[in-house]
Amino acid sequence: MLHFAQIFSYGILNGALYGLVALGLSLVFGVMNYLNVAHGGLIMLASYVTFLIFSSLHIDPFLSILLVTPAFFIIGLALFKALFQSLMKFNETEKIKNSLLISFGLLLVFSNLAILLWTADERAVTTTYTGKVVQMFGVRLPYIGLGGVALAIIVIIALHLFLTRTYFGKAIRAVSLDHEAATLMGINVNKVCLISFSIGFALAGIPGVVTSLQAFNPAISFELTNKALIVLILAGFGSIKGVLLGGILLGAIEAASVYLVGTPYREVFGLLLFVVILMFRPQGLAGKRL
Amino acid sequence: MKHILLLAGVVICLALVPLAIAKAYILNLVILICLYTVMSQSWNILGGFTGQISLGHSTFFGISALVFRYLWVLGAPPYLALCGGSISSLLLASVIGFPTFKLKGHYFAIGTLALSMIAIITVQNLLPGVSFAPPQFLSEYNLASIYYMALTVAVVVIGLVFALTRSKLGLAFVSIREEEDAAEAIGINIFKYKVIAMSLSTLIAGLGGGLFSFYVASYYYYVPFDLGWSFDPVLISFIGGAGTVMGPVIGSVCFVILKELFAISLGQMNVLIFGIVFIFIVLFLPKGIIGIARLLQTKKSSVASPKET
Repeated sequence: MLHFAQIFSYGILNGALYGLVALGLSLVFGVMNYLNVAHGGLIMLASYVTFLIFSSLHIDPFLSILLVTPAFFIIGLALFKALFQSLMKFNETEKIKNSLLISFGLLLVFSNLAILLWTADERAVTTTYTGKVVQMFGVRLPYIGLGGVALAIIVIIALHLFLTRTYFGKAIRAVSLDHEAATLMGINVNKVCLISFSIGFALAGIPGVVTSLQAFNPAISFELTNKALIVLILAGFGSIKGVLLGGILLGAIEAASVYLVGTPYREVFGLLLFVVILMFRPQGLAGKRL
Repeated sequence: MKHILLLAGVVICLALVPLAIAKAYILNLVILICLYTVMSQSWNILGGFTGQISLGHSTFFGISALVFRYLWVLGAPPYLALCGGSISSLLLASVIGFPTFKLKGHYFAIGTLALSMIAIITVQNLLPGVSFAPPQFLSEYNLASIYYMALTVAVVVIGLVFALTRSKLGLAFVSIREEEDAAEAIGINIFKYKVIAMSLSTLIAGLGGGLFSFYVASYYYYVPFDLGWSFDPVLISFIGGAGTVMGPVIGSVCFVILKELFAISLGQMNVLIFGIVFIFIVLFLPKGIIGIARLLQTKKSSVASPKET
């Protein structure tokens, strides 16, 4: 029983991270129907940036979020202007297809660039609290995992408040509902898309910090994109609120598969579920719009 | 007609290469180009002509490589094992591939990606060892026999794709790519033609897998399932020209040469360069290198024609 509780709580901690991983992807998809599969690559790059900041300036990874997210916001601005803005004119299916292809190219570029720059070796930031755990009812919870959960909750609440309470956030939601109607209401759709795309990039920096504390290498970019896509389909495409729940659900499913079949097939269960849901409910488990 | 003669000339020259040049390096290069051409054409039929972007062709490549090796070790002649491997790809596709046609557009792309990930993880866990070519073959190792198989398969596949572009079947594929709903409205059975495209594509991917298994003497069982076998054909086809006959061939030549140029450097510089070029091709040149060539041709003729008149 304790064994089960241990595996399960690890699953939940991982799941919160998956939610965080999917957040940026979900926002960008919801607002402008861009399927940015390079998202995992961005998170991987953020891990390296965090690692470099830690090893050169000795800034704690959780603090370096303040440096990493603005930097990724600016990268997002530049890449949108250079590559993604020209896709705005397409219809929905063409938009998804072309953004998928371009970001797929980016994903390959990012991961190969990382191998060239930093080799394929596994790395991790080692802080004073690495490996430390809290004991609760006999279950051991690592500090880093708990930090990830706290971060996920804070970021999702902040994003929710931004989207519902600020003028610009409301504009983003209006654009995600209907581009033309938003234009007629006097919203600058191009600007809203530019900013929300860049926010999506900035949101890639945050999980990157958590993954930098665990082991990471250039290959995690594919794995993370993959997790983000699974969470997206569990939460419903474009749903922000469902993302944390979707992530935790994926974490729980993985935990259950570890308990039942063992670690080697942990990923397979999530993927199988993904394919099955794609076939029968392509709009996602909880999603309505399609 | 001129093109066909030119192509036949190139093929005959290539067929004579092992007799004239004994250098293994050149033979290896041509074998690799053939291998990538076969894989890219396989992707091209489904992605380039029919518009169904698959990110999971490594599954079919891999299963055929394993089956080929199994049959070959059992004593089957290589060309028979090649057919066996190819058919195993088709069988796998009919189990897992055809249901994915329930997925439209980008769902098909990420669905097939998920399937190929399931495949590689499963193979990594079930078959952790290394696969070896039959010892008898290794003792009398003969690169030329591999070379001829690669050349044969590549020529057959290119011929097949060429025939496809001249057939009603090819037209049906293109109509599905251009506008699925409209194609259905004019009476094209979408599901049927998608299944045919997938079958052809996986059969060819199977030929590629068998070729790989014949060429690479020993490999970890999971290597032919590597996602690179799904991704590289996408890059190659787009850069050469997706939905054209010669595009994947030109793309493969560039890809393999770049791969050779940067062979000593760490990582895969050729994939990095191809990734960047790929992005620009998708954005600005939907027909790739072939498209550029055609563009230049029409410009030349339009510049030249006023002078003549």
